[in-house]
Amino acid sequence: MLELKGIYKWVNSGNNRLFLLKDVDLSVQPGEFISIMGPSGSGKSTLLNVIGMLDTFDQGEFTFLHEPVHKLKEKQRSSLYKQYIGFVFQAYHLIDELTVYENIETPLIYQDIKSSERKAMVADMLDRFQIVGKKDLFPTQLSGGQQQLVGIARALIAKPRLLLADEPTGNLNSKQGEEIMGLFKELNKEGVTIIQVTHSEKNAGYGSRIINLLDGMIQNN
Amino acid sequence: MLKNYFKIAWRNLSKYRFYSAVNILGLFAGIVFALLIGAYIWSELQVNKNLRNANRQYILTTRSTDPNVGYELATFGPIAKSLKEEYPSLVENYYRYDGVTSVVSKGDKHFREGLQIGDSTMLKMFGFEVLHGDVQTALDNPYSVVITEEKAIKYFGKTDVVGESISIQSFSGGNHDFNITAVLKNLPTNSISNLAKDYPNNFFVPMSASNYFGRQGVDSWNNIFIASYVETREGVSAKDLEAPIRQLVQQNASDQLKKIITVKPILLSDYYLQQDQGLVKRMLYTLSFVGLFILLMAIINFINIAISRSASRMKEIGIRKVLGSMKRQLVFQFLTESIILVSIATVLALLTYPYLRPLFGQLVGKDLPSLAEFPSYFVCLPVVLVIVVGISAGLYPAFVLSAMKSVDSLKGKLKTAKDKIILRKSLVGFQFSIALIVLIAAGVVSHQVSYFFSQHLGYDKEFVVSAQVPRDWSSAGVKKMLTIRDEFSKLPEVSDVSLSYEIPDGANGGQAPVYKFGSDSTQAISMQILSPDEHFLSVYGIKLKFGKFINSTGSVDSSRIVLNEQAVKVLGWKNDNDALNQQVRVPGDNTVYTIDGITDDFHFGSMQTQVPPIIFVNVTRTHSYRYLSFKLKPGNISQSIEVIQKKWATLLPGTSFEYKFMEDTLRKLYANEVQLKKAAYLATVLALLIVLLGVLGLVSLSIHKRIKEVGIRKVLGASVPNIIGLFAREFAVIVIIAGAAACPFAWYLMNGWLNNYAYRITIGSQPFIIAISLLAGVTLLLVAVQVTRALKQNVVQNLKTE
Repeated sequence: MLELKGIYKWVNSGNNRLFLLKDVDLSVQPGEFISIMGPSGSGKSTLLNVIGMLDTFDQGEFTFLHEPVHKLKEKQRSSLYKQYIGFVFQAYHLIDELTVYENIETPLIYQDIKSSERKAMVADMLDRFQIVGKKDLFPTQLSGGQQQLVGIARALIAKPRLLLADEPTGNLNSKQGEEIMGLFKELNKEGVTIIQVTHSEKNAGYGSRIINLLDGMIQNN
Repeated sequence: MLKNYFKIAWRNLSKYRFYSAVNILGLFAGIVFALLIGAYIWSELQVNKNLRNANRQYILTTRSTDPNVGYELATFGPIAKSLKEEYPSLVENYYRYDGVTSVVSKGDKHFREGLQIGDSTMLKMFGFEVLHGDVQTALDNPYSVVITEEKAIKYFGKTDVVGESISIQSFSGGNHDFNITAVLKNLPTNSISNLAKDYPNNFFVPMSASNYFGRQGVDSWNNIFIASYVETREGVSAKDLEAPIRQLVQQNASDQLKKIITVKPILLSDYYLQQDQGLVKRMLYTLSFVGLFILLMAIINFINIAISRSASRMKEIGIRKVLGSMKRQLVFQFLTESIILVSIATVLALLTYPYLRPLFGQLVGKDLPSLAEFPSYFVCLPVVLVIVVGISAGLYPAFVLSAMKSVDSLKGKLKTAKDKIILRKSLVGFQFSIALIVLIAAGVVSHQVSYFFSQHLGYDKEFVVSAQVPRDWSSAGVKKMLTIRDEFSKLPEVSDVSLSYEIPDGANGGQAPVYKFGSDSTQAISMQILSPDEHFLSVYGIKLKFGKFINSTGSVDSSRIVLNEQAVKVLGWKNDNDALNQQVRVPGDNTVYTIDGITDDFHFGSMQTQVPPIIFVNVTRTHSYRYLSFKLKPGNISQSIEVIQKKWATLLPGTSFEYKFMEDTLRKLYANEVQLKKAAYLATVLALLIVLLGVLGLVSLSIHKRIKEVGIRKVLGASVPNIIGLFAREFAVIVIIAGAAACPFAWYLMNGWLNNYAYRITIGSQPFIIAISLLAGVTLLLVAVQVTRALKQNVVQNLKTE
């Protein structure tokens, strides 16, 4: 599905070059459920952002669905990820000014999907996550678990092939966390490829493969 | 998509009410001011445009090499008529009038009104709309009068008054009924009835009535006080008129006038903007600049506040980008927001326009058109305004915000916004500079205006009231008036009364060339003639330097005159007392005049010009007078006025006591300056308001960005003033730089303006210091309030934000 080859990412501080990612090679097959682990500052989130095309890298090759990402222009990259990738964040990142319904709908708007079609898709999603009753509430009126549910619903609305999750349970209590991980497992069974960043061995256990990062380098694969 | 934009924009606006209000207020101030100025400019441009053939109608103006001879707006009496008679292929029609004021009465209503004794062509030539009566015959009969709607209502309470009559006083004190033959619709401002701004004419009587008024001599080439207009045939230009005019002047005018006067035709559609050396035009330019700058400041404000608020929008922007929004789509979203804001501000501006219209109208001394009076295509103007201002205000923030990296924005990093801090500070610095310039200008203008009204006048204006009296310009008339004067002076409320032709308002009766007896008459110097009585000096508190003032009691030696210092100087005497008892002459006059006394110089007219040489001639010699001036005793002024009024009714029955305090007379003399002062104050208020809104935005950004630092400092024991100082320092630098930029420019600008005045203040450091400290003070206050408010929040919470 995607392949990273010799990815380097660095920042210059003074005369020193500080490496965030160092010679990262990674290949992901469709249907995998990968957990990226490592201590704070090891480059987990950076790697996830690079894969999600939210961040750039300085050296190396990145192929996504046979497209050479490193050669694409910003606009093409953007249309690539908005079509195939969904994001879930630790801090949910819902838009506070929009209702649950509107938050879930937003990615569809950016994909120029017709209003009637959007309605049907959002209704399906609300139904599936059993949050129909909450559709007119604003994010601040929901609990953390419910907000993350909305976040996942929003990530899935455009039917992505790849779901990227940056510590999705980090702000939740253990019971909510278990529910979310259960949901991920289920999604993975349905064929969605998932890459998550996590600190928790337990959460990592839900996945099919674990990648350990240290100082921007992959330790085992 | 658009609906979505609107929705989020609206929610954002209502969520952050404070910022929205600040933004809307700033934009509103800018837009409403621009709107008012626009309306004023439009209405000024409309003047004379509605005349029937304004594009080929010319006013004949006078250019004179001697400032004391001739009026710009009047010319040789016969010239317009001769042009038509001798050059019928060039000139199709003409209109001339002799402008006078007299008392118009109906029953017990007596008012002093401006009259035009003019050619009957007036009604046909300019196409003024007639409500009642027949244009063709209205001015045929000598005792007929055409009045305007406004005056018909004033005297009769209705407009259909054709066939009624009103009585108009002649200058010899007689009264005669005039038959109203037509009523005109109220005249829009134009250079026929409003030629002299302060004396609008709403009564038109035929030239054949000039005998009754004792104003013969319209057809004399020595009369250079007749306002004249000609309408040329199609295709004839002003250039084509020049040679015939020169020819006529050469043939007919006296040698003296020929030398100094040139007659210049000016197209009526241009005249209004050009008159008084382009005063109106300059005013329009000044106002346009001020309006544009205020609008620009409002836009800058919007930009500043929008960027400073980016912190709170950043997360949303990041999410939207992650969700697949294109940069373009974000730009559109932000533009939608700015357009909504500007729309609200514009709607507010339009709603308040009817209420602000009279206030602003008062300020500029002109009624502004109501919204309904604008042509219908002006409807699209607000729409254009909204789009232009909305886009120009929203474009920069939209691009800055949408260009940020999505990961950075998700983390709430203000890195990109921080890079723009220099730009934002320079924008605020620019606003500060403008505000400072406006403040300094207001200070200087107001200082100069109070200088006009101060003791520098050379006479004492306090407790002096003047009123016009009916004219009987004969020896007997003067005698009678002097008796009346003495009656008035017996009133216990009055300390002195003077009869004179002039009061110190710059409008005097005429000039006389004067030369030293024994020298060459060609060296005569033109002097202003004032014809007062012997009480003039005491009423106006003018100092007599040497000799004695004119005397009208006992046997009057009318060859005795008095000069002011300036006259003595220009005639070439070194010391004032050298001139005493010396003799002077006027060319063409056999009398040898003896200088009886010399007065101090005083400002007879505007301080714009040098004090002119003045020659005082006894009113008993000139036989012409206009005013009684009363010096009241301090005390209950309104009561004193009432007493005079009562006395007036018995001494001068059938005339109205229309009095004016000297203060008001001066205000009229300096109307432009007083107006400028008011406009400067208004601009100051607006500029300050907008600048402070801008500061508000910048401070809130600073606080937002440094909230953690503030929290740490507070935990470490910093006091509130310490922290205020921390933020104030940023602005101190901006104020200093803005001051350094603004002061020299303001000085240059205001010095240029002051150079228009022969008597002027010198600009000291005061206005600069006041302006800078005022701006700095208010900014500091604003910073203090905001910082204090921010510090009230929980410090620990702030520390937790990282």
